[in-house]
Amino acid sequence: MKIEVTKDWCEAMARQEADVEVGAGLIAADPIFNGEAAHDTTFDESRIALGRFVHLMRRRDKLSLEALAERADVDLAELMSIEFDAHYLPESRTLYQLAHTFKVSHKKLMGLSGLTKPKDVQYVEEAVRYAARSESIETLSAEEQAALEGLISVLSEK
Amino acid sequence: MTSDRKPDVTPVGLFDVAGNRMVDAELWDAIAEKNLADWEAEWIPELFKLLQALNRKGVERRFWPQSRHWDWRDKMKAIEGRLANQSFSIVCQDMTQAMMTTDVTKRAQIASQKNDHLVYVDFLEAAPWNRREMTQMPPRFSGAGSILILAAIEQSKMEGFRGRIGLHSLPQANDFYANKVGMTDLGQDAAYQNLRYFEMTPEQAEAFIEKGRKK
Repeated sequence: MKIEVTKDWCEAMARQEADVEVGAGLIAADPIFNGEAAHDTTFDESRIALGRFVHLMRRRDKLSLEALAERADVDLAELMSIEFDAHYLPESRTLYQLAHTFKVSHKKLMGLSGLTKPKDVQYVEEAVRYAARSESIETLSAEEQAALEGLISVLSEK
Repeated sequence: MTSDRKPDVTPVGLFDVAGNRMVDAELWDAIAEKNLADWEAEWIPELFKLLQALNRKGVERRFWPQSRHWDWRDKMKAIEGRLANQSFSIVCQDMTQAMMTTDVTKRAQIASQKNDHLVYVDFLEAAPWNRREMTQMPPRFSGAGSILILAAIEQSKMEGFRGRIGLHSLPQANDFYANKVGMTDLGQDAAYQNLRYFEMTPEQAEAFIEKGRKK
């Protein structure tokens, strides 16, 4: 299928389009990096906590995203999705690798991610609370350090 | 997944914003393996860099680009072999600059053309470097959105739908479809994640085409 269009037409339309966005289509209806087809908002808060935990731990250890991906042997794109996107449903293997790297409970990270439904929801609520106390800045503040210690505490095997 | 057929190519032009000049480009009537490879190897890394920059600036997630999760390879898998779906891409300087998929099974909603067939734009996305909202900088190339909308209109005419098209706009793009393209805004659609639904009549399609002919 070829269409009839001139370069002049393209130029006239391009000049009026330069300052706007053009995207169209359903946001979450597609399978997103294999994880978001059936997006369940139930886990948004706990996934934010999971993302904040990974983010804070990485910064505490002064690791770039690439360095953590290499150390934990996980995919860089997935690591970024975990940190930045509460809609993202991580792979089980990735959570296992991160739990092993950070020396916390694999099962609890699974619960936070929504991959499993935790029987004990208390640690999820606590993790969400701690995560909410942290803010994103370049170095860990005393408050962030305290929030991170709280997260480590509730996500550790007891 | 992608058609083995060599796409039909229409010569078009995009506006090189930094160079303040038009450059040659091509409209393909397909999303081919080359386009998907560009998406994977060039769009996604660029998108992640931009998300990282937004995050570091403390920009709230709700302001991040909503299409950041789109997986074009999965989209193409989903419509593989379906005659009701068509795909288009724009290539410039050997790089995919925008992609679109359409569906001819949807019906119109505007009263004057209620239940008439139209071409529904399932997905339309420009490359990250062509998106001001993401970079907070002028786009590298502009014009891809208008060319893809023109392609949807021409597909509609070929199908006998007289230029009728419809789409759900991403929130950042409402201005484009309402004011630049001149479609009718039928408001938020609760069945489609509260995105605004826009529809174009044959008269609006002609007005859109005519707009580009005026100097």
